[in-house]
Amino acid sequence: MAEYNPKLVCFSCKFGWDYLSEEPGRASRIANWIPVVCSGKIDTSHILKAFRSGADGVLILGCSEGHCHYQDGNIQTKKKVLLLRKVLETFGIEPQRVEMKFSLDPEGKGIPALITKMGKNLIKLGPIKRL
Amino acid sequence: MADKPKVAIYWLSACAGCDESIVDLNETLLEVAQAVDIVLWPVAMDFKYSHIESLKDEEITLSILSGAVRNSDHEEIAKLLRKKSKLVLALGACACFGGTAGLANFTSKKDIFNWVYRDAPTVVNPETKFPQTETRINGNVLTLPEFYEHVYCLDLLIDVDFYLPGCPPPPGLIASAVKAVIAGDLPPKGSTLAPRTALCDTCPRNRLKPHRIEIKQFKRIHEWEADPNTCFLAEGILCLGPVTRTGCGESCIQTNLPCRGCFGPPPGVVGAGPKYLSAVASLIKAEKDEEIQEIIDSLVDPAGYFYRFTQPSSILGRKKPWKEMEE
Amino acid sequence: MWKSIHQGLAGVEPAVKQFLPPCQMQCPINEDIQRTNILISLLPDDLELARDGIIQIGDYLFEKNPLFTVCGYVCGLCELECNYQAKGGAIRRRLLKRFISDTYTVYLNQKEEFNLIKQKENVAVVGGGPGGLMCAFDLSKRGYRVTLFEASDRLGGALWLIPRYRLPEKVLTSAIDNLVRIAGIDVKYNANVGEGKLTLEKLRNEGYKAVFIAKGTPAPRTLTFGREKVEDQSLSGIMYGTTFLYEVSHGEIRPNYFVGKKVLVIGGGNVAFDVARSARRLGGETTIICLECEDKKSKDHIPADWEEIRGAWEEGIHILYSRGVSKILGESGRIQKIECPRCTSVFDETGFNPQFDLSDTIPVEGDIVIITVGQGADRAALQAEDLLDEKGALVVDPVTLQSLKKEWIFLGGDLRRIGFMADAQKDGLIAAESIERYLRGLSLKEISPRLYEAQDIPRRSHYLTEPEVLWIPPEKRMHFQIFERGFTLPEAIDEAKRCLSCGPCISCKACLSIGIQESLPTVEVNKDRCCGCGICVSVCNYDAAQLKDVEIRRISFTDTFKCKSCGMCVVACPSEARKLVGDNMENRINAVYASL
Repeated sequence: MAEYNPKLVCFSCKFGWDYLSEEPGRASRIANWIPVVCSGKIDTSHILKAFRSGADGVLILGCSEGHCHYQDGNIQTKKKVLLLRKVLETFGIEPQRVEMKFSLDPEGKGIPALITKMGKNLIKLGPIKRL
Repeated sequence: MADKPKVAIYWLSACAGCDESIVDLNETLLEVAQAVDIVLWPVAMDFKYSHIESLKDEEITLSILSGAVRNSDHEEIAKLLRKKSKLVLALGACACFGGTAGLANFTSKKDIFNWVYRDAPTVVNPETKFPQTETRINGNVLTLPEFYEHVYCLDLLIDVDFYLPGCPPPPGLIASAVKAVIAGDLPPKGSTLAPRTALCDTCPRNRLKPHRIEIKQFKRIHEWEADPNTCFLAEGILCLGPVTRTGCGESCIQTNLPCRGCFGPPPGVVGAGPKYLSAVASLIKAEKDEEIQEIIDSLVDPAGYFYRFTQPSSILGRKKPWKEMEE
Repeated sequence: MWKSIHQGLAGVEPAVKQFLPPCQMQCPINEDIQRTNILISLLPDDLELARDGIIQIGDYLFEKNPLFTVCGYVCGLCELECNYQAKGGAIRRRLLKRFISDTYTVYLNQKEEFNLIKQKENVAVVGGGPGGLMCAFDLSKRGYRVTLFEASDRLGGALWLIPRYRLPEKVLTSAIDNLVRIAGIDVKYNANVGEGKLTLEKLRNEGYKAVFIAKGTPAPRTLTFGREKVEDQSLSGIMYGTTFLYEVSHGEIRPNYFVGKKVLVIGGGNVAFDVARSARRLGGETTIICLECEDKKSKDHIPADWEEIRGAWEEGIHILYSRGVSKILGESGRIQKIECPRCTSVFDETGFNPQFDLSDTIPVEGDIVIITVGQGADRAALQAEDLLDEKGALVVDPVTLQSLKKEWIFLGGDLRRIGFMADAQKDGLIAAESIERYLRGLSLKEISPRLYEAQDIPRRSHYLTEPEVLWIPPEKRMHFQIFERGFTLPEAIDEAKRCLSCGPCISCKACLSIGIQESLPTVEVNKDRCCGCGICVSVCNYDAAQLKDVEIRRISFTDTFKCKSCGMCVVACPSEARKLVGDNMENRINAVYASL
C-alpha cells in the first residue's frame, strides 16, 4: 500500500486543555486542531462533516468527570459519541474512528502524543471505505 | 385542448402509495383532470415512453415524480421527464430524501442479490441465476435496467423544483400544490410545499410534556403500551417529531404511535439523523460510561431508526457533497 | 503570566437588572468573588509558575478592596449564602482568599504606589479603622487630598481586637501600612478629633471641605443588672474585654499571665469568645458566662459563631448558658466570686429585656473577671459636635451617610451601626461616593440602595463535598499562632474548581480576561423555526432556556442573565432554531474542513 497519511481532526476543550500553554498560538500551527469552549458544543453533524470532508478520524479531548465548567458538557459529548459509534457501524465506518479522552492537561503537553497515537490506529484501519 | 397544461405523474422505485394519495383526492381529482392534460401515469393510464420522447423540451408543465432512484431505468426516465418539463415536483419521502428504499444503502447490491435470489427461505434457485442487464436468446438481446450499487434521492441526479414529503403525502397537501401550479402561484424554486416548523409545533401532546425530559430507559412501541396522554419521548419511546416537518395532521400520533419522520427534516436542518441523535443523546439521564453504554445498547438499530426516510440525502449517505436544503 | 485584561470587553459590568450570585450579594462590598474563584481554578499547580497569576488576582482584588488580605483571615460572610451549602458544603472562599493573601502580603511591600493626581479638595477622615481606611483609599483614587486623623498611635481600629491566632500581625500591618503608602494618604497619629482643640470647626478652618467620621466604638459597655450598674467596688482583677484584647495585641501581656487563675468572661458574642480563648492561651482556667442559651433555634440563642463555640469547647473553656451577673464579691480588695441568677428570657417585644429567676442563683468563683458585653461610641464627643438628636441618637441619612445636621459631615462604620469589618468598609465606600457628589454639586438623592436578586445553583449530575478544615489539635493550640491550616496551591485550585459560577456572565468575565474566549457569544432563537419541543429546556443546566406561549404557539427564549453561552441548547435543538452569535467555532471548523 502506498504512503497512507491519515487525516485526523482533533477538538479540545479550552477549559481543560492547553489554557496554560507557553505558546498561545500553537493551535493555529498544528494542522486540524480545533480548540473549542466546551466539548459539549461539538455536534454530531460536525463529526460527520469531518468524515465527509476527508478526515479519517476525529479525536475529542474533553474535561475529566466532574470538572466541566458548564456542569455536564463532557457527559453530553460522551453520550453523543457512544450513540454515534453504534450508528457509524451500520454505515460501515469503524467506531474507533471517533475517539474521546476526558482529562485535564493545562499545558497541553500531552496533545501531540495523543494525536500521534490515534494516527497510528488510523493507519491500521486504513482509509474510510464507504464514502 | 392545446391550452391545458400538461402533467406527468411517474413512479420510480416506489410502492404506489404516493399514487394512491393522488387517487385519494377523490372528487378534487376529477376537477384536476378537467383542468390539466395528463400525459403519463403508469398506475392509472396507458401511455408509452415514445409519447413523452416526442414532446418538445419543457412542453410538460409539471412532472410529479415519486420513488427513489434504484436502477438505470429510473435515472433515464427521471432525466427524460426533467428535460421535457418546466417544473419537477418530488412527491413523497422516497423522491424527496430517499425514503424507506434508502435503507438499502446500509447493505450492498451483492448482499441484496444473494438474499433475494439465493438465500431467502422461500427462494428455489438451484443454479443461483442472477438477473443480468443483457441476455441473449435466440439471436435477440433482452435488456434489463442496471441495479445500482446505491439508492439516490431525486435531487442528487436532476434539478428538483419543489418537494412534497410524506409517506404517503397527505392528499390535502397534494391538492394545494397542484392548484398552486395551475394558478401560477408558486413559492421560490427549491421550496417544500408543507409548513415550516417541526411536528411538536402542532402536536397535541406537546403541552403534555413534563418540564424536563429525562430518559433512563428506552422503550419499544411494540413492547410497551404508550400512554395516550403523554409525549412519547417523555416515556422513553423514540418519536422523531422534534426533527420532522409538520403538515401530516399527526396521523400517526392520533393512533397512539410515535412519529416515524416521514416528512423529513424541517427547514434549516441538513441532516435529520445526526440532529436527532444529538437531541436524544442529550436527554439520556446517565453519567457513568457503563450506564450510558447500557442504555445505548438497548436501542436496536438506531441508524435505521434515525435515518428511516432520509438516508440517501444525509451527510454520510449521499454520494455527493451535501447541499443545503431550502431555507 | 496571563495577559489579563480588566477593561473593555473583559471588564466586569455593574450589575444590570440587579442579578448577582448570592455570595456577592451577601458580601457588603460585592467583591468579584465568582471571577476571582474561576481565575484561581485556572492557575498552574506549580507555585513558582502560579506566583504571577496569584499576584494578578491579588492586584485585581486590591483595586476594590485594599484590605482583602485581612478578609482572608477574618471574614467569610459570603460562605453563609453560597448556593453549594445545600449540596455538599459552601465554597471555602475565605480560605481561598487567605491563600492569595499569603503570597500577596509579601508582595505588597514592593507594590508600586498609584501615581494619583490629587487636584481636588482636601477631605478629612476621622478614624483609622477599616471604615476610615476604605474611605480614604477610595477618595484618594478619585483625586482628593485625604488626611487621616487617628486618635491612637497606630491605624487599624477594631481590627487590632482580633486575636493573633485568627489574624497574624504581619498580615494586618502589611495591609494597613501599604494601603496608606500606595494611595499616598497623609496620616496624623495621636490626633483625636473631638478632643480638646481639635474640633470639626478647626478642621473646616484648616481647609477640609468634608469630613468622614468613623471613630468606631471604643467605649466598652458597663455590666448592668436590672438597669443598674453592677458595682465593682474597686476590686482588682476586673477588666473590660476590649481593653484586654488591645493590650494583648500590643504585646503587653506575658505568655503565662493567667496561669493558676480562674478567669470568668462575661458575654456571649464573638468578642467574648476572642477574650476567653485568648485568656485560655495565657494559661487561665476559663469560663464564659452569658445570658443567652445554647439552642441556636431559640430567640435567645447565643450570638457567637458556631466555630468559635466549637473551638472554645475543644480548648477546654466552660460555658455557662442562661446566667446573668447580679453581684461581684471580693475580699481584701481582690475578687472572690460572682453571683449568677438564671436568666429566663433575654429578648421580648420591647427588645433587650432580660428576666431572671433570682431563686436560682449560683456563685461562681474567679480571680479575674473580664466584662465583654458590648461596645459603644464616644457619645460625649458626638454630642459636643452637635451630631446627635435630643434622644442621643446619631442623626444621619442611612443611605447617603450624610449628617442631617451638618451637610459637610459624613458618618459611618461601627459608630453608626455595629457590624463586621466588611460592613464598615461598605460605609467607607458609600461615604466616598456621597462626599464626591456633595463636593461636585451633584444630587445625593440619586444614590439609592441596590436591591439584588440571587441566582440559583446550576444543575449538574453530581456535587462534591467541601474539603475538611483542619485545626491543630487543641492541646497543641496554647499559643497565639494560627491554628487553622490554609490551602496548598493544589488544594486551592481544587476548591476553586468547585465554584459553579452561579452568577451572570456580565458580573464575571473571567474567561474573557484570560483569553479563553474573545467575547461572550449570545444565544439567538429563530422564532419561525422553533417548534416549542422543549428539548432546550431539558438540556439547560442554568434554567436560561425557557418556553412561553405566544398566541397559539409555544416558543422558547433565553434569559440572557442566566445564560452562560455554553451552547448545549444549540446542539440539542432538533430544529436548528438556536445559534450562538459571536462565536467563531463554526468558522474555524469550516476552514479546517476545507483544507482537509
